[in-house]
Amino acid sequence: MVRLITHNLLACHVKGCNTNNFPLQFKDVQIELREAEFNPDFLKGFMPKLEWKALVDAARQLGDTTLPLEQPEMLDDEFLKNLHHVLLEIHVEEGVMTCSNCKHEYPVSNGIPNMLLAEHEIG
Amino acid sequence: MSRRYLVVFAQAHNEFRIPELRSIAELHGFEFSLPSALDDQDPNRPYMVLYVQEEEHARILAKRCILIKSVYEFYGQGSSYEELHQNNRASRALWSRYILDTSFRFLVTAHNHKIPQARQREVVESFSYMKLMGKIDMKSPEIILACLEEYTSRHGFVRSKHEGDGQFRQVYFGRLLQEGTARSLIAKFDVKKRAYYGNTSMDSEISLLMANQALASPGKLIYDPFMGTGSTAYPTVHFGALVFGSDIDGRQMRGKGNPPGVLRAASQYGTVSRILDLCTFDVTRNPWRRGALFDAIITDPPYGVRAGAKRLGRKKELTPSQLATFTEHRMSPRLDDQPYIPPTKPYELSNLILDLVVLARYLLKPRGRVVFFLPTVTDEYTEIDIRQMLCEGMEVIANSLQDFGSWGRRLVTIRKVNDIQYPPPTFLEHQKGLATTHIPAHKGFREKYFQGFRKEE
Repeated sequence: MVRLITHNLLACHVKGCNTNNFPLQFKDVQIELREAEFNPDFLKGFMPKLEWKALVDAARQLGDTTLPLEQPEMLDDEFLKNLHHVLLEIHVEEGVMTCSNCKHEYPVSNGIPNMLLAEHEIG
Repeated sequence: MSRRYLVVFAQAHNEFRIPELRSIAELHGFEFSLPSALDDQDPNRPYMVLYVQEEEHARILAKRCILIKSVYEFYGQGSSYEELHQNNRASRALWSRYILDTSFRFLVTAHNHKIPQARQREVVESFSYMKLMGKIDMKSPEIILACLEEYTSRHGFVRSKHEGDGQFRQVYFGRLLQEGTARSLIAKFDVKKRAYYGNTSMDSEISLLMANQALASPGKLIYDPFMGTGSTAYPTVHFGALVFGSDIDGRQMRGKGNPPGVLRAASQYGTVSRILDLCTFDVTRNPWRRGALFDAIITDPPYGVRAGAKRLGRKKELTPSQLATFTEHRMSPRLDDQPYIPPTKPYELSNLILDLVVLARYLLKPRGRVVFFLPTVTDEYTEIDIRQMLCEGMEVIANSLQDFGSWGRRLVTIRKVNDIQYPPPTFLEHQKGLATTHIPAHKGFREKYFQGFRKEE
């Protein structure tokens, strides 16, 4: 859990933290690889919604360097397989996600991130 | 040319039947039409003749609709056997290919009644003009021809065993095309056999109906913002969709032990890889980076009887001096500090629903659907309750009641009609809603429930 597709959709949402609040930075992570069903149509449909650089950076930080720095125009099978692996098969099970801006730490335990805010962080 | 098929419905959730048919037809990109007479469209009747373009479409409905028991190729109907036989003769072109060499058996049965054996035989013999030459095979015939009599309910009346035999409202005749296969999923997803569930887990038949309303299918991304123990997710992922779940209370999703409860249950069904992720947050303080992500939102919001909805905040605001102390302690927590759990306050149901629709408008893709349950007080409910929760760009496409007597719950399906990208909700939108004078029947549902829905003196 906390697959990179999810990581690519979560931003820090502390009150007033509006710039540089994405992506969250992984720290002290334990990862697991688990197979998922390959669905090229889903991947193609989802690509416009991704922040590409954030995805590539996160993947490299977790040791996967298969994705190119720029989103390619030709979506061949090999690329889609790599994208599938990065988005859906790498699971961050334990660790922390930190906001680069306000330094809020979102802990991940048993694969479930705790994105709750403290009382002074809500508007 | 459209063809006619006779649908035999399961005796449950009558109001859900037609919305379910429409959803499955939309999911598979075909259309059907209801019979023209209003009386024949009545969803409380057990049989309905549908007009469908292709035989394959009728099969799809039978395989996916939870409320279909079986589908027959329709040959004729009547309020008497004379009328039925006359219609059946006119349909000869449909069944003539079975005359020569097709093994068959007859099935004579009734709804709300038991036909005596002697008359069953009589009925079968009355079809002798069809001159079927094939072998009669009771075990594994190539075709099953069925004669279905519909009696009006005589529930509550004392009568002898076969009283009123033959006084049916309507009788139908056709060839079995497809047994409904989706009904067996109700047993598969039975909550009692699930590896993980809670006291608010939802009945499997209802959650399967929700998954159909949400058009769950491979490649879709579906979100439940009140995930709880995951009841809505298991049928949804069974149909191939990916589900993302969030809840303000992570304990509901985790349960005891590891892996978390929701994943244990999903593993039991072999679909754990389709639970995309689980996340603890208050949906009114959500971390979504952008909108237009999901094909559907499917949820059973807590309505306060077993579990009440909560959102971040305090029931009573802190005084300035308390707040100063609190801030100081939060800024420099002690080293042995337990994991911090922020305070929560109740989230009133009618506000939650208004917020949910605005949130859905932000998070859904164009033509995406939000499917949810709304508890309501039977005597006080009016249509305005539902219309009032809409905002620009959202329309109601189905609203079916599950009736428990003095109260009930409505399965509401709302669709995003345009492709405008709306701004993220502020979750204060419901305050504008209060300007109108109409108070929906679901407001203060918890209090009404525990007062036994008594009218105020």
